[in-house]
Amino acid sequence: MKLRMKVSLITAVTLLVGSLVSGTAVIYRSAAYSREKTMESGRQQTEAAAYAVGKELEYEMMEHFTDTTLASYYDYVLQKYGASRYILVEGGEVVCNRTAYEVKDPADVRWAQRSVIQKSKDRYLLLVGRRVPASGSREYKLISIQDITTLYEDVYRQSLLCFGICGSVAFVAALLVFMAVGHILSPLRELQQAARDISGGSLERRAGVRSRDEIGMLARSFNEMAEQIERQVAALSEESERRRQMLGSLTHELKTPMTSIMGYADSLLHVKLREEQKERALSHIYEECGRLGRLSSKLMYLLGMYDNDSIRLEEVVVQELFDHVARAEEMHLQEKGMTLRCTCEMGIRRMDRDLFGSLLRNLIDNGIKASREGDTIVMTASGDQITVQDQGCGIPEQEISKVTEAFYMVDKARSRREGGSGLGLALCERIARLHGAELKIESVVGEGTTVRIVFYKTFTNC
Amino acid sequence: MGRKAGNTMKILVIEDDVVISELICMNLEAAGYEPLPAFDGISAQQGIQNGTFGDVALALVDVMLPGKDGFALMEDLQAAKIPVIYLTAKDDVLSKVHGLKSGAEDYIVKPFEILELLVRMEKVLKRTGRGREKIRVRDVVIDLKEHSVTKAGEQVNLKPMEYGLLVTLAEAKNVAFSREELLNRLWGTDYVGETRTVDVHIGQLRKKLDFHDVIRTVSKTGYRLEDQD
Repeated sequence: MKLRMKVSLITAVTLLVGSLVSGTAVIYRSAAYSREKTMESGRQQTEAAAYAVGKELEYEMMEHFTDTTLASYYDYVLQKYGASRYILVEGGEVVCNRTAYEVKDPADVRWAQRSVIQKSKDRYLLLVGRRVPASGSREYKLISIQDITTLYEDVYRQSLLCFGICGSVAFVAALLVFMAVGHILSPLRELQQAARDISGGSLERRAGVRSRDEIGMLARSFNEMAEQIERQVAALSEESERRRQMLGSLTHELKTPMTSIMGYADSLLHVKLREEQKERALSHIYEECGRLGRLSSKLMYLLGMYDNDSIRLEEVVVQELFDHVARAEEMHLQEKGMTLRCTCEMGIRRMDRDLFGSLLRNLIDNGIKASREGDTIVMTASGDQITVQDQGCGIPEQEISKVTEAFYMVDKARSRREGGSGLGLALCERIARLHGAELKIESVVGEGTTVRIVFYKTFTNC
Repeated sequence: MGRKAGNTMKILVIEDDVVISELICMNLEAAGYEPLPAFDGISAQQGIQNGTFGDVALALVDVMLPGKDGFALMEDLQAAKIPVIYLTAKDDVLSKVHGLKSGAEDYIVKPFEILELLVRMEKVLKRTGRGREKIRVRDVVIDLKEHSVTKAGEQVNLKPMEYGLLVTLAEAKNVAFSREELLNRLWGTDYVGETRTVDVHIGQLRKKLDFHDVIRTVSKTGYRLEDQD
């Protein structure tokens, strides 16, 4: 059953029961009250009548009346005081009855002081009995009979009216509640439709609910949830797209050494080559296998670092790190006839010593590859950034945004000769990000490249 | 073009990876071609436009090249009337369709087999009318136009299958064919003969042409026609 139906029914039933109970109580109380009133006035009237009749019956001449005269006298007295509603009883026998009823038990002594309601056929009768206060030898009782059926009929009519009013009030109330609930719940339908649309795939859908009640709050929370989901799905698909592209370039990147290895092996097996060609083929196979090995280990590194757990942050004296890196690069630099100048104005920073060291070495290696003999590479740490600057060949402007993509190489042939795999800067960026830093590359073709590792302020203290 | 009886047909190899470039050149040389390597799109384009490569019979072109990609070179290659075979690691259908639609004669995906490359090159050369008219192996001259073979100027009578076998081996000199490959190529894939058939014909060729040391048996593989300058 729908909510609005339930609410309407509950309202109607509650209202009906409540008003019936209170209506019944009121009617019952007022019926009891008016009956009490009627009985009271009946008693008073009878009392008065009995008194008056008693006065009349003190008439001394009565002693001498014949029975017939006596009967006539009783008749006269009753007619005088009470029209046709009194019965006169003398010593257990009815002596005069001007009413349309008969008393079954006139001898009952209770008639001396009694008031009772009796039902005769479908009429309600109020019977009031009083002793007639008369001196003399005779004992009289006066019984009044009053038809009070209208009293009961009134109660019946009132009850009917009450039922009718209660019923229609409940009905109207239920109708109003039905409509009101429908109106209040109408945003829920919008919400439901929105939820259905979202689960159907249209993630940009939002519930258009403006109300400020609980449903409005629910709708706002719902919209926030939808937004969050949309953001996360977008992030997920972006991530998976990025991985897909990386895997794509990976398979492509694997193909080059594979082609060489297969081709040279194929040639060695099937083609008659000169001795020196055979040697070259073998050495190429060896080199390409080495390239594959380097590629796979770098890739493991790159993939492994997707889990942030593998990073070990500790307090590192940057000057010490610089010295360490400079020592490690010394040989390489000497070979190429280049110099490295380090300036460190940075004290202690939280970083992973090995990872950050390899980041710096990677940047220096890149500088070496780009530079000519006699050039100087400058490594500076100050404020919240570390820069590695070279005076080498530079990167064309349109390539700068792409150099940090995995497997991207600006000059493939040259990069290959230097043993590059196109993963270096992708790795560097990854490491920088793990340290809460960003790689910023500025380069002018022919003048050199500056790579800045800029730390975000927020990350410094954690 | 086909005017020379010699084996010095020029093949332009546009490939940026020096190792692969050397691989291709090494094999082309062994098969009797003269490879001309170019390592990037721009130098290749300049060479084609200026005619510095000379009389090129065919170009093997990598698609992803620094400077100018292989697809972009098609216009210049077509202007110079050089047939193109793309040789690339891009094996998605879209690239293949694009490559072939742009006017390439063939599209070979890396990694490739040397033999496959040579056979496809030969097919393209024949289709574009650049096929060799004569192949010379020592003192034997195979006239592909006349379907005749001479040894030291004298006509040698070969049965059709023997002639086919000799041409197949000579067209990819110094490259070994397996018996199954030869069987498939000459007798057709639905031929249910034994590989012994190949051995018998090879024996005949060796005897008729005195090629005992020219048609070599390569262990575990098959046969190779060896001829080195």
